Amino acid sequence: MEAGRLPGRRGNLPERRGTPLACEQRNDLKAMYQSIFQSSTIPILEQVVGFAQARHTVLAGNIANLDTPGYRVRDVSVEDFQRRLAEAIRDHHRVRSATSPGELTTLPERPLAQVAENTKTILYHDDSNVGLEHQVTEMVKNQMQHNLALSIMTAQFRLLQAAISEKS
Amino acid sequence: MFPSLDVSTSALVAPRVRMNAISSNLANMSTTHNEVGEPEPYQPRYVVFQTDTTVGAHGAAGVEVSSVQIDRDAQPRYKYEPGHPDRIREGPYKDHVAYPGINMMTEFTDAMEAARAYEANLGAIEIAKDLAQQTLRILA
Repeated sequence: MEAGRLPGRRGNLPERRGTPLACEQRNDLKAMYQSIFQSSTIPILEQVVGFAQARHTVLAGNIANLDTPGYRVRDVSVEDFQRRLAEAIRDHHRVRSATSPGELTTLPERPLAQVAENTKTILYHDDSNVGLEHQVTEMVKNQMQHNLALSIMTAQFRLLQAAISEKS
Repeated sequence: MFPSLDVSTSALVAPRVRMNAISSNLANMSTTHNEVGEPEPYQPRYVVFQTDTTVGAHGAAGVEVSSVQIDRDAQPRYKYEPGHPDRIREGPYKDHVAYPGINMMTEFTDAMEAARAYEANLGAIEIAKDLAQQTLRILA
């Protein structure tokens, strides 16, 4: 998340410091940052990491309500998120056609299974249907996805670092 | 994304439900009244599993609880207790009390089996997680 916000922060740097940059210089800088960060998969990964964190909160709420009578399992639709992300990437590509060849690699070949349909939890007599095992498994999966996105992001930042410092 | 995790999870839920039934059977080993207070020995519960093909992929299948069967034909244990209020008043088992036909050894063996099954599936989950993490190491 922190790393993912970098583009915005870096973009704001000249204004925040109040450096008297000429207008076209500032635009050049903006264009450079955009070309560095927007042509990579970092913005996509940022979305994935953000989603994983939000979903973790929801799943933690389910576990917290393990013994609450009448509580029904809540979840954020992973499939919906993936679909929207894919759409956004497609739209992005339509506007600025040429992109790096590795850009779409983070997109899964098939969307994640929808949780609501897949988990067949038992409805208990107190009208709650929270299954501890299912929730923990979903959490683990979520964590894996989060870690995957972060690893790819770290690798990309390492590449940038290598380019900036001119050493590998 | 990780179908093996779903399969293993389904196999965590099933032994837990089974363990509930076993606990119930052990707890009611000497229960001579049913849930509405009528004199009737407790009838043991047994959990039936069935394959669940909705989880998993590539031919793998999970497990789900198909039903919890109440063993109505369980032969009660007759114990000679002439002072017991629930004793049988007449017939061949006069002055005996009918206790639930639950074999403690069988129940304990089933409990151990359920616990081992749970552990085994936890192990499988750990391995699946480890595999995924090893895959991540390709990047890092």
